[in-house]
Amino acid sequence: MNAAANTANAELPAVIKALYEKFGESAFVRQHTAEGMPTLWTGRDKVLAVLRYLRDEHRPRYEMLLDVTAIDERTRINRQGQPASDFTVVYHPTSFSGNCDIRIKVALQMNDLNMPTAIPLWSSANWQEREIWDLFGIVFTGHPNLSRILCPPTWKGHALRKDHPARATEMEPYRMSDEIQDREQEALRFKPEEWGLTRKSENSEFMFLNFGPNHPAAHGVIRFALQLDGENVLDVVPDVGYHHRGAEKMAERQTWHTFIPYTDRIDYLGGVMNNLPYVMAVEKMAGIKVPQRVEVIRVMLAEFFRICSHLLFYGTWAVDLGQLSPLFYCFVDREKAFNIIESITGARMHPGWFRIGGVAQDLPKGWDKLIREFVDYFPARLAEYDKMVMANSMIRQRTRGVGVIDTAGAFDWAMTGPALRATGLEWDYRKQRPYSGYENFEFEVPIGVNGDCYDRAAVRVEEMRQSCRIIKQCLENMPEGPYKADHPLTTPPIKEKSKLDIETLINHFLSVSWGPVMDPTEVTMTIEATKGLNMYYLINDGGIGSYRTRIRTPSFIHIQAIPFLSRGLMLADFTAVVATTDFVMADVDR
Amino acid sequence: MNIDLWPLLIYTLIVVVLVPGLLVVSSLLGQRRQDHATHDVYESGVVSTGSAQLKIAVPFYLTAILFIIFDLEAAFLVAWAISIRESGWLGYTEVFVFIFILLAGLLYLWKSGALEWRTLRQQRDLANLAGEGGVVNVGARAAAAKESHHDHHDDHGHDAHQAGHGGAHH
Amino acid sequence: MFEFVVGSPLNIVLILGAVLVAAALLIWVERRVLGFLNERLGPNRVGPWGIAQSLADVGKLITKEDWVPPFADKLPFIVAPIIVPVVMLLSFAVIPIAPGVGIMDLNIGLLWVLAMAGLGSYSAMLGGLASNNKFSLLGGLRAAGQMISYEVFMGISILGIVILSDSFNLREIVEAQHKHGWFVFPQFIGFIVFVIAGLAETKRWPFDLAEGESEIISGFNTEYSGMKFGLFFVGEYIGMLLLSALIPVLFFGGWYAPFGLELPNAIISGIFWMCAKTGCWIFFFILVRAALVRPRYDQLMNYGWLVMLPLSLLNLLVTGAVVLAQGN
Repeated sequence: MNAAANTANAELPAVIKALYEKFGESAFVRQHTAEGMPTLWTGRDKVLAVLRYLRDEHRPRYEMLLDVTAIDERTRINRQGQPASDFTVVYHPTSFSGNCDIRIKVALQMNDLNMPTAIPLWSSANWQEREIWDLFGIVFTGHPNLSRILCPPTWKGHALRKDHPARATEMEPYRMSDEIQDREQEALRFKPEEWGLTRKSENSEFMFLNFGPNHPAAHGVIRFALQLDGENVLDVVPDVGYHHRGAEKMAERQTWHTFIPYTDRIDYLGGVMNNLPYVMAVEKMAGIKVPQRVEVIRVMLAEFFRICSHLLFYGTWAVDLGQLSPLFYCFVDREKAFNIIESITGARMHPGWFRIGGVAQDLPKGWDKLIREFVDYFPARLAEYDKMVMANSMIRQRTRGVGVIDTAGAFDWAMTGPALRATGLEWDYRKQRPYSGYENFEFEVPIGVNGDCYDRAAVRVEEMRQSCRIIKQCLENMPEGPYKADHPLTTPPIKEKSKLDIETLINHFLSVSWGPVMDPTEVTMTIEATKGLNMYYLINDGGIGSYRTRIRTPSFIHIQAIPFLSRGLMLADFTAVVATTDFVMADVDR
Repeated sequence: MNIDLWPLLIYTLIVVVLVPGLLVVSSLLGQRRQDHATHDVYESGVVSTGSAQLKIAVPFYLTAILFIIFDLEAAFLVAWAISIRESGWLGYTEVFVFIFILLAGLLYLWKSGALEWRTLRQQRDLANLAGEGGVVNVGARAAAAKESHHDHHDDHGHDAHQAGHGGAHH
Repeated sequence: MFEFVVGSPLNIVLILGAVLVAAALLIWVERRVLGFLNERLGPNRVGPWGIAQSLADVGKLITKEDWVPPFADKLPFIVAPIIVPVVMLLSFAVIPIAPGVGIMDLNIGLLWVLAMAGLGSYSAMLGGLASNNKFSLLGGLRAAGQMISYEVFMGISILGIVILSDSFNLREIVEAQHKHGWFVFPQFIGFIVFVIAGLAETKRWPFDLAEGESEIISGFNTEYSGMKFGLFFVGEYIGMLLLSALIPVLFFGGWYAPFGLELPNAIISGIFWMCAKTGCWIFFFILVRAALVRPRYDQLMNYGWLVMLPLSLLNLLVTGAVVLAQGN
């Protein structure tokens, strides 16, 4: 071991030191990444023990498995210092008590794509392992039902492998004949036995009901196969993938810059909020520090989208409970917010307006007028809805004690965002690990006590007030300055600097057509999105685009918990649970 | 008493012809389609599992029995209500006893759980709630909640609180 | 000049026509009023203010495919939607509109209405069970539980009125109120129970469990389309009209003007006040639809059997005792 390695060892993060002590240094290979998150490679035989240690024994505990994903490494060029691997499985446990993350990687070879399942440790691993099986073809031994989840059951191949076609022109043209339609329908037929469900009890026959994909309260194209005994919900099997576009696959074909508009469409209620983790991740790689004005503009627009998303939740939740009017009131307010967003960005739902190193344009003249009206108008409206909805005794009877989960349960199911805060944990990414200048704003993090449908709604309602508060601060304290960073990798670059001579013109041309080219590395960026933690894990292989883009979305994870939340309730409760889970199908299926 | 029922008969006849007549007209005017999935049962757009003709659990029929008991009772009460002045206090006493027995029966049904339509989990989760619910740390209600928080500790909510604060000082 | 006589052919035709037109208008009125309550416009394109919207809807529904699912029980499937409008229209036969205006002066008018309401509950049940669709089945079961339960409470809640007026005849009930004052005051509990149970019987918001869009798509009528769906739909509105007319007759003095505000002609005054009172109740039910939340099945049943039933029985006992004590 040389001296350089020794000094590196001296500055080892505590968690790595503890792991070395527990399992021996030879069990791990350490990898350095741009964002500095502790990253360790370990063997397949040890990984469960390591994860268990992190979850139970290590202090601080790593309570939640934030993400599990995989990388097809076969065509990756820059892997200096990493163990040989065809496919890598990446675990990302996170610690709420210690406010820190760790990344554990396991190398797999092409002829032996097997992993032990992590479901005994975290229930939330279930779907993520199914996703990895579906998209990479890695088998998780011990998994109760390792079936396709995002691609249709009839799909051939594994979509995120590098040798799988990426665009339609690489495949046969798709035609939907009656025979294909029948075959696909038959493949969708729900088979209770596959999920360990019985068809009848001593007293009654159970009804298996397809709640969705085309159902008014399913909030998008998702299917819940319900096992019903009369009105009572005995079990629920969510079935997703109807909205799958393969955003992660598309990212591999786009440049860093041209992928930005795709992110808007991940959580399509979150608009530019989706741009934020992506552009910040790229900026981290490029080493760009954005001007303060950019940070405040980004925060302001992101909070507008938080309000829009929560308003949609608020209205649809009420209408799912059978209350008609709040939906329309919320849509009126949402329209006002969209008008503001439109006046600034030119688009309403999917502005795609953030840029690497800044935003697309400066704020228009007189931008503050509409916003000033909104921050005066909106809190009064919220107070009215409080009376109509939150204080309504029928709403309280319908939702209190329905769909209860405690903090430990939320950790187990990897629930984040309002759902986690409703259980009483005061944890908001904007407070705990401020990004984009959130540390400069005054706002509070609302929490509930019961972790039921009512509390989840109440937390979101209060978050709208806090968002309004943040917007007001943006309005009053908007810093002067440029709307783009003065950095060579800012994309598109500042136009004025291209007109000096042929050299700067060429630079500008390359920068516009390719976008930034950065040193190979890996980077993770997480934000407190509208529905929970939204994380981008980008692997840069030195090209003009991402080698692998992992998008961890809250909706996908949360849907998994719906069976846990709604077993043993009634059909009407089930819709309340579905509504307060507040998912967006585009966010689920990506 | 001899009442002339003709108007009612004529009116009934008109209504009984008019309403199904609309269906006949519509079946004459309407189009006919025969697409691939026209004659499939609607179940959210996918093929269904199992039949819609099921044996339903016994508790459901309890409602029917309740209906029979109390609607029969209502029939007696109707007869009494119209003749209350003729039957006097004696009739009243009888009806009083009758209703009293029925209410006692209802009370018994309630106590024995026959009127409990909720599931076990609904009852349990509602009984185990930690508090009133809603946001407890922000806004006007937070102040009141904080007052009571000093008196009695929440069970799990409190632990979670601590975890959150641990992070805050990081 | 012709005379208005109860049961004359002119009366029959006019009242039937008026009820049908009113029901069609009511659909438009409700959509418009709900629109304004919800900060939106509602249908405003067909005719002035959109007033011909229902006409256009009928035209559309009647030219739609008359589809009977091959997997359904055909006869009950077709009969089910016919039942509601028929029984609701038949109930109107005994509603007294003004002196001399009405189809039938029936001495068992109140029982007739109750009987028709009882028949009406078959509609949703039959439709739900005959459709052979799971959402319909759930809706049919809910409809059965809800309607037969609330039918009981509705029946008992109006017995107080029978005691007070000593008659089942709706005209005599109106006359009795003219003599003794509106029954809403002595029969306040009966009134509350009746309004709630009546709402539940028409399956209107918030008691739309049997349709419960956010839970069971459209419930018992999921497989219905075209005019057969239209009949369910129109039936619901005729039911609402009936309930809105029945409440003034039973509790608010029928066609008699309040506060001595009679118009010069007795018949015109009667028609005017009857329509005005009915209109108020219609508006009230639209407001209810805009504001309230659908209860859960267990809450609906619990509320009915543990609150409505004891209340209406106690109301009956107290009324009986008071009448006997005053009589003796």
